[in-house]
Amino acid sequence: MIAAMTSTSWQDRVGTAGNAPLRWIAGWGRIVFFGASLLVLALSPATYSPETRRALLHHIYVDTAPVLAWFTTLAAFLTLVITRIVVVTALSYGLSQYALEMVIRVLVLELIPLTAALFIALRCTIPNGAAVAAMRRSGHFDALARAGRDPVVTQALPRALAGIYATVTLAALSCVVALVLAYLAVYGFTTAGIPSYTRVFGHVFTPAVSLVFVLKTLLFSLAVAIIPMASGLYDTEGDGSRESAALQGLVRMFAVLLVLEALSLAGNYY
Amino acid sequence: MADPVETLARSEPSPTAPVRHLERKAALLLAFTTFLVAGSVLFLLHSRGAFEPTQQLVLVADDAEGVAIGMDMTFSGFPIGRVHTVELAEGGGKVHIVIDVPTKDAHWLRSSSVFTLVRGLVGGTTIKAYTGVPADPPLAAGAERPVLRGDATAELPQVLSNAKDVLANAAAITAQDGELRATLANLRELSERLKGRDADKVAAALDRANALLARLDGMTAKADAQVFGPDGVMKEARATVVQLNQLLADARTSLKKVDAVLTDAQGISANVRGATTDLGALRAEVDANLHKIEGMIDQLNRRWPFARDTEVKLP
Repeated sequence: MIAAMTSTSWQDRVGTAGNAPLRWIAGWGRIVFFGASLLVLALSPATYSPETRRALLHHIYVDTAPVLAWFTTLAAFLTLVITRIVVVTALSYGLSQYALEMVIRVLVLELIPLTAALFIALRCTIPNGAAVAAMRRSGHFDALARAGRDPVVTQALPRALAGIYATVTLAALSCVVALVLAYLAVYGFTTAGIPSYTRVFGHVFTPAVSLVFVLKTLLFSLAVAIIPMASGLYDTEGDGSRESAALQGLVRMFAVLLVLEALSLAGNYY
Repeated sequence: MADPVETLARSEPSPTAPVRHLERKAALLLAFTTFLVAGSVLFLLHSRGAFEPTQQLVLVADDAEGVAIGMDMTFSGFPIGRVHTVELAEGGGKVHIVIDVPTKDAHWLRSSSVFTLVRGLVGGTTIKAYTGVPADPPLAAGAERPVLRGDATAELPQVLSNAKDVLANAAAITAQDGELRATLANLRELSERLKGRDADKVAAALDRANALLARLDGMTAKADAQVFGPDGVMKEARATVVQLNQLLADARTSLKKVDAVLTDAQGISANVRGATTDLGALRAEVDANLHKIEGMIDQLNRRWPFARDTEVKLP
């Protein structure tokens, strides 16, 4: 698998032969190809050998559990501050009936999925990609391949899937925490506002907006999980150092996140 | 060269050391995520009214501008329905606004309910329901009702037209040959005339008024001396008052005397009353004597029947 994905692909031939734009296209082609390969591997039951399953569980746990509490605290603080700003501003303009809707839109729809993706990228997936690059460069991958174990399946896939899972979990938990805190910040400790709050929530999350939200979160998680890993596996550009691979992954990942955010905004508001 | 495995251990977010009870912890984490996502989906469906039995209400409007799918229909400020679809009706150019009303809220709507579609200057379009007679039969499911349209912006052209008229009037008034300008010109002419020829007359009138006031002042001083001066009227008036007091004292003495006279008169009148009583007794006696004399004459007449003149002359 690793041989098919690294040595003789068209992207390598274009990347080494062409000039800068061609190398740029080849780099993106490698990322897309690697992402598609990972998805195919993830959907194939034969991939989940005991070793891969153990590695997957390990990465899922160590990538998600330690950051869950910290990130939830951060999201709660962000929610309180932004809710306060929006509610006070809306009140001063006499538009308090739109404050809650705006809080839900700004926080749950836009800010929290992006923040969760960036947090997971900086905390887990970029270091994971750098580790994969180091493994490959140190010959660990070759050793694994010689031992009959596919390094992509046993090393890269668990890390990528753990990144996807961590992003989705963090986004879901932070959205729930943000919704609860926004309710408490607006209505206080009472259950009287639940029906109207539920209605506002349903008003914001129309089927189209819900679809865009789900797609955006999934694509964010894919972007932060796959791009750094692909950069770690194919760091043929630059001087080949680990820092260069990490930087390339970061730049490409930020670009993709920006495009996805712009597309989601266009989908929600146009 | 450093050991690659050691390098990996330092670069990854957490060491690759084995985690105790990894499978159980990972399963708990997966269950937590599943619970979160499933709960969110269920809450979303609940908030969209997916688990609520609804009945439909079709509002017929001329224009559905501003009506969006999912917007609320309110009753007394409470949302009791949600726009399901907006579609053009077959023929007639009308619009059908299909509204999902939860069955638990449907009892607010009656057959006589009125529906309005109001488009405000600020904020979105609102659909409102009004029920005047709560005792009317409830609105049937799938009922079609006309919706009354109110558009705050629709009055803007009329307001602008009126404003234009007002501005035109103002322009006509202040025009070069306008009435206001003519009035101002007349006023200016009058003030200039006052300033020129007639100003002397006004000054003379003021001088004469001043002289008149000075004379009035002198007259007042003289009147003051005559009334309140050492030989003034006030002193004589005071002496007159003293004399009047003396006169009043004399009058009081006279009145006392008159009182005494009256007391005597009362005594006299009491005597007279007693005499009058005596006169009554005297008369009674005279009457008795007369009766007796009459009886005697009657007897004489009977004894002296030949007498022609039977009349007795009383002394």
